[in-house]
Amino acid sequence: MGGFSKKNDLAAKRGYTYRLTRRQFLVASSAAALAACAPAAVTPGASGSPSAAPGKELKIGQLLPFTGVYAELGNSMRRASELYFKLNDGRMANRPIKFIYEDDANVTATGVAKTQKFIDQDQVDVMMGVVPTPLAYAIRPAVHAAKMIFIDTNAGGNALTRDTADCKPACKSPYIFRSSFSSYQISYPIGDYLSAKGTKDWFLAYANYGFGTESAADFTTGVKKNGGSVTGNVAPPLANADFAPFVTQIKNQPTKNVYSFFSGADAVGFIKTWNQLGLPAAGYKMYGAGFLTEQDVLKEVKDLANGAVTSLFWAVELDNAENKKFVADFQKQYPLLPDVFAVQQYDGMRALDEALKSLGGDTTDKDKFSKALEDVAFKSPRGDFAFDKTTHNPIQDIYLREVKTTGGQTVNTILDKIAKVTDPGK
Amino acid sequence: MSPELLFQQALNGLSFGALLFILAAGLSLVFGMMDVVNLAHGAFYMLGAYVALSVVQLTGSFWLALVAAPIALGALGLLLEPLLLRRLRGRHLDQVLLTIGVSLVIVDQIGLLWGREVRSLPFPPGLDGSVALIGGVYPVYRLFVIAFGIALAAAIAVIYRRTKLGMLIRAGVEDAEMLGALGVNTDRLFAITFAVGAALAGLAGVIAAPVFGLQPGMDVDALLYSLVVVVVGGLGTLGGAVAGSVLVGPVDTFGKVLFQEFALAVIFAIVALVLLFKPTGLLGRIRIAR
Repeated sequence: MGGFSKKNDLAAKRGYTYRLTRRQFLVASSAAALAACAPAAVTPGASGSPSAAPGKELKIGQLLPFTGVYAELGNSMRRASELYFKLNDGRMANRPIKFIYEDDANVTATGVAKTQKFIDQDQVDVMMGVVPTPLAYAIRPAVHAAKMIFIDTNAGGNALTRDTADCKPACKSPYIFRSSFSSYQISYPIGDYLSAKGTKDWFLAYANYGFGTESAADFTTGVKKNGGSVTGNVAPPLANADFAPFVTQIKNQPTKNVYSFFSGADAVGFIKTWNQLGLPAAGYKMYGAGFLTEQDVLKEVKDLANGAVTSLFWAVELDNAENKKFVADFQKQYPLLPDVFAVQQYDGMRALDEALKSLGGDTTDKDKFSKALEDVAFKSPRGDFAFDKTTHNPIQDIYLREVKTTGGQTVNTILDKIAKVTDPGK
Repeated sequence: MSPELLFQQALNGLSFGALLFILAAGLSLVFGMMDVVNLAHGAFYMLGAYVALSVVQLTGSFWLALVAAPIALGALGLLLEPLLLRRLRGRHLDQVLLTIGVSLVIVDQIGLLWGREVRSLPFPPGLDGSVALIGGVYPVYRLFVIAFGIALAAAIAVIYRRTKLGMLIRAGVEDAEMLGALGVNTDRLFAITFAVGAALAGLAGVIAAPVFGLQPGMDVDALLYSLVVVVVGGLGTLGGAVAGSVLVGPVDTFGKVLFQEFALAVIFAIVALVLLFKPTGLLGRIRIAR
C-alpha cells in the first residue's frame, strides 16, 4: 500500500500518470473473464458505465476508531451509517452504497495510511468519519491534494474549517465539509450567554489537550466579551485517572462557577469526584461543553450530575419531529439510545444523499460535488441543518441544557436556544 | 498553598499511593521470583475490574466482588503459568513478548464481552459518604483505600517473613535453582507466585474501579504506573514496592497540580533521577546478571 502511493508520487513528479497497478490489472482482467463467462449475471446498471457515474456503486470510505479509547464513538457512528443505509434501501440517488470501514485505532499514523488506501487502492467516491482532531489535521493535505470529498463527522478543531496563516495546523479546503461542530460553537456561545445574564466570574477545568485548551480559550473569549473574567484554571492531562487533586484545587478557591471540558471516562471521573469531595454542598456549580453530560456519561453518574448546565447542538430529548423519528428508528434497530456522535454521522449521510440527488448521482466532477454539498439544507434531528458556504462548517442552533432526574431517568432538559451559531472562520 | 489544602492533597497523594502499592505488589513479586517482567499485569488489573463490575451487577455486593475477582484472576494465573510461561523459562525476552500477547488477547476479549463504553462501579454502601476532616470533608472511600493498602502491606510482610510459603518465596527469589536442588517443587511454587501476582492485580482493579472507572486503555495506564513504582522502589522486593508507591503517589498528585503543564513528565523525572543515582531503585537489591 505504501509502495503504491510512493510510486504514484514519483510518477506525478516526473510528469506522467501512473496507469495500472498489478492488482488493478488482475482485478480488471479477472472481471473481464468473468463477464465473458456469464454475461447474464452482469447487472444492467453496472455494465459499460464510466467510473463514478449514476447507477454505479457508491464507495464511501469510513475512517473510524473501532479499538482504543474512542472505540465506542466509532461503533456509534457505524450504527448510524448502517441505520441510514437500511432506511434508504442501501441506495443514494439510485446508486448502491458500499461502505469500506477502516480502523484508525486512535493512532494518527495508522489513520494517515488508511486514508492513502482509500485514495489509491479503494478509490472511494467520498470519505467520512475521523474522531480525533489531530488525525483530521494530519489527513487534510492528502485529502485536499486528491480532491477527495471528505465529510468530517466528528473532529471539532477550529482550524479545519478556517483560513489560517500558512495553513497551520490545518485550514479549510473546498473538498472538506463538517457535519459535527467546531470547538468555538460549543464553547463560545455559552460563555457569551451566561456572562451576558450576569454570571461574570469563572474558574476553568479542562482536559489538557488541543481540543480542551481550544474550547477553554473560546469560552474565555465569550465571557470577556461581556466584561466577565476567568479567575484561574486546572488542566488535568487527557485520560487522567485520579481527579481528586484537581477537584481539591477547585474547592480551595473562591470562584463558585466552574466551566469544564471533559468527555467520556474523564467526565465520569470528574463528576464522581466533584460529588465525593462535596462541591455541590459547598455551593459550587458545574457548567460545561455538552459532552460532559451526554448519555454515555449520564448512564454511569446518574443523578450525581443533576444541576449541571451544558451546551450542545443536540439532545436526545429535543422536541422536534425529525428527532423523534430518528430516536425511534434508532431504537427499533438497536437496543440503546442514539448519542450525539450518531447524529453527526447520520446528518453527514443525509447531507451526502441530498447533494447526490441534486447531482443526479454523478460524483465525477469534484468541484461540482463540493458546490452541491454547499447548497444542501434540510431538517435534521438537531434542527435546521446547512453548511456555511465560506467555511463548510454547519450553521446550527446551540441548546443550553440542564441535567435533571425525574422518575429515575437522568436527562438533559432544554433551558434555552441560541439560534444559528456560525463559526467566525473566514 | 494553605495548610488545609496541603493536608487534603497529601491525603489524595497517599490514597493514590496506597492503590499503586496494591497494583505494584503483584508485579514486583512475580519479577522477584521468576525474573519475568509481566507486561500482562495491566490487563489482569483491567480484567479484575470488569469481573467486579459483573459481580456487582449480579449480586449487588462490592465485598463479594472484592473476593471473587482476585480468586478469578488467581485461577487464570494458575492456568497461564504452566500452559504458556513455563515453556519459555529462562528466555526472558520471549517471556516478556508472551505477556504482551496475553495482555492483547485479554483486553480484546474484555471489549467483546463487556463492550467498549465507559463504565463505573458505584461506591460500596457505607463507604460512599464523606467525613469531616481538617479543612473540610473528605471521602470515606479514599481513607478506606489507604487503610486497605497498609493492611495489605502488613499481611504480605507477615506471610513473607513468618510462613513456610513466604520462606520458600524468599528462597526462590534468592536462588531458584538451588531451591529446586533441595527438593522443593519449584514448578508449583512458580505457578502459585504467578497466580498470587495476578490475584493482586485483580484486587487492585476492584479497589480502583469506583474511583477511576472502567474503560478501554485503563490497562496501559495501570501497567505504566506499576512499572514506574517498581523501578523507583526497586524491583523484586516488598519494601521497594512500598517505598515506590509512597513516593510516586504523592509526587504525582502534587506534580499534577503544581506543574500542570508538565503533569505527565513529573513522575518520569523521578524515574530518571532515581535511575541516575541509584540504578537498583530506592530499596532494590543488587542483582548479579545470570
